[in-house]
Amino acid sequence: MAVESGQNLFEIAYPLFNRVDDNDFEYVYRGYFDHSITKKILFLADTNIAKVTNQSQATLQKRIYYIMVEGLQNITIHQEEIANNREFDKYPGIFAIQKNGDKYFISTGNIVANDKIESLKSKLDIINSLSPEELKKIHREILSNGSISDKGGAGLGLIEMSRKSGNKLLYSFERLDDEFTYFYLQTLIPTDASFGSEQHGSHSSLESVKQLHRQMNVDNILLYFNGFFNQENLLSLLAIIKSRMNMPLTTIKISNVMVEMLQNIIKHGSKPKEGVAGISGLFFLGQMGNETLLTSGNIIPNEAVQTITERLEFVNGMSKEELSDYYDDILLDFDTADAKKTGLGFSDLRIKSDKPLKYKFLPINDNEQFYLLQTSVKTKK
Amino acid sequence: MEKFVREETEDTPEIVFDPESGIFKISKISVPENALEFYAPVLEWIKQYAEEPNIQTKFDFDLEYVNTASSKQVIQIILLLQKVAEKGDVRVRWFYESIDEDMKALGARYKKLVNVPFELVEIDE
Repeated sequence: MAVESGQNLFEIAYPLFNRVDDNDFEYVYRGYFDHSITKKILFLADTNIAKVTNQSQATLQKRIYYIMVEGLQNITIHQEEIANNREFDKYPGIFAIQKNGDKYFISTGNIVANDKIESLKSKLDIINSLSPEELKKIHREILSNGSISDKGGAGLGLIEMSRKSGNKLLYSFERLDDEFTYFYLQTLIPTDASFGSEQHGSHSSLESVKQLHRQMNVDNILLYFNGFFNQENLLSLLAIIKSRMNMPLTTIKISNVMVEMLQNIIKHGSKPKEGVAGISGLFFLGQMGNETLLTSGNIIPNEAVQTITERLEFVNGMSKEELSDYYDDILLDFDTADAKKTGLGFSDLRIKSDKPLKYKFLPINDNEQFYLLQTSVKTKK
Repeated sequence: MEKFVREETEDTPEIVFDPESGIFKISKISVPENALEFYAPVLEWIKQYAEEPNIQTKFDFDLEYVNTASSKQVIQIILLLQKVAEKGDVRVRWFYESIDEDMKALGARYKKLVNVPFELVEIDE
């Protein structure tokens, strides 16, 4: 089973990578949401947005941030309504931010009790039927009367999301069982230039998030990042892993492996094109049974394929003892002064990973290939 | 000799080399993109210190994360400490959290590769 699922990721990776343009990104977190993870998600998203917006778009950046906060709070409010934590393990929620050209999409998906759907739906329909002026008025009324909707201000949050985006809120319900339904909510945030002129977010985009969520449920992916990699977002991803995992030993291993994999992309991936903030790539973190699978994908030039293959086969072909001796040799070999050629990366990954390193190359044009690498870390409790 | 101090950052360690108070310590996290660049002044400082070291040098590594690029710089530091040991007494301590088998393994690797008193110290969480 585990092997199959890992391979499945190899199949879906390139189509996903391909749908995101150079300066765009999509980032999805799936799981339980608490204060600490919320903070880190905001930080990572903000870091990425800052990279692709400029000074004149400060308002846009703030607006996105604000809507993300409301969206994440919405999830936690709904979470609190459902006391039984087991339901969250069974039906994990998601938070997604996508940049597509000059549009940003913030999407959330989380379970709500079936008997809440009607009131939620009518609230959303009312908000969507109001003009910006009416929304402003209602917002003021709620603030002054203090009469906030049934639970913890969710109503106010939705109003604010609608106001800040200048758009209707897209939503969708997906029934799960007799008790619960996934509630999806998407806000489209246009750039400053088009703000105010109402834009209808494509339903296809909300559909794509739902589809992604299904896919992530199947492969038990906890974290999916598709965009440009640089040291900054590597550190943010690391912070998310740190707070996401509740098994310290595994967390350390995973973090170590992730640092090597992502720095490998940053160092060896095809150089970023003019005006792109990092190396384009994709990363999944998923859990299969008692192992954590880390999968990365990025573009490399044709001529790198052979070297990478040789190195991977070399480390895969050695026993752990042989590899350990080899590692010692490289550690003491200072002739290769070039920082890029520490040569330790793959050996280290193989030593820390519990299985041979899995890889695949997909030719994408005459000069380049899409390079997938997967490592596996056993979960220890 | 002048103190050498680096505040920790998100991806580089905290470093304090203070011959006067006898503190030599590298701690926290070391996962910089360019380890060579970051460690160049560190190595330079120790090289100079090796000329005229204290009678005794207790050198502590208390690192949480080390990427492979840094691990290669760390061994250079330890090799320089071997030089320090030619003129003074050197003791290296490598701290690791009890649950962190990777850091323990890395410490054990260094201990095996160098010829300087090197102690692995387990810390309970």
